Amino acid sequence: MILYALCFALFLVGLYGLMTKRDLIKIILALGVMGYAVNLMFVLIGYRARAAYPILEPGKPVPAMVDPLPQALVLTSIVIELGVTALLVALALRLFQKYKTFDITQIRRLRG
Amino acid sequence: MDKQPGLTLIVKTVTRLLVWMIFLYGTYIIFHGHLSPGGGFGGGVILALGLLSILLAYGRDFTLSWLNVRFLKSLEASSIILFLAAGLMGLVLGEVFLFNFLAKGTLFSLWSSGFIPLLNVVIGLKVGLSLFLVVLALAEFDLEKGAEE
Repeated sequence: MILYALCFALFLVGLYGLMTKRDLIKIILALGVMGYAVNLMFVLIGYRARAAYPILEPGKPVPAMVDPLPQALVLTSIVIELGVTALLVALALRLFQKYKTFDITQIRRLRG
Repeated sequence: MDKQPGLTLIVKTVTRLLVWMIFLYGTYIIFHGHLSPGGGFGGGVILALGLLSILLAYGRDFTLSWLNVRFLKSLEASSIILFLAAGLMGLVLGEVFLFNFLAKGTLFSLWSSGFIPLLNVVIGLKVGLSLFLVVLALAEFDLEKGAEE
């Protein structure tokens, strides 16, 4: 249970960075921290202490196994998060090209 | 010292020595994907990080001249067709899409589990090259002129 609480604390660290930082790059990093906290939570839900890898072998008794479903889901989630991060960095570059700053308080007016 | 692109001589030398070990480790992860943790995705990411260390240490111009980026782009785009061809061969030779039509071999040996290692290689190429090309596209982006392509 304490691991889940620490996961939530990591998520809150990301949320704090997302809501208080002004630099666009730091906001993107905070978003990444939030995503990793959620992924870690999923993997921890599927984890069982002292369990075997989830491969069935013929002629062997079925041991206690780690749940492979959250791992497969998290793998997909990591890939999507990578794409989202690349898209955000590209958008931040475009914003920097237009406004010459990463400070979101300076990016105020829509300039064509 | 004359001004050269990229980082210092120390970083360049360490990168030159280490990058082949990074490539070897990525290849190992890819080829042992059906036996141990890792596989196409993790190994591909390691290969992309090896290429990225070259890009960081030597700069953009050297990397663009050293690598054949056009070939890499074609390889990245065509690797998904290789995956589709493997799946359709399973459909033709077996019953379902991605049917494992090769011999399984013995359990836990390197050449086992049919064509899953081949699919791992294809996925490793796809993931590694697309990751590297994304960062290369971001590095190629010129803040003055905008996107070139």
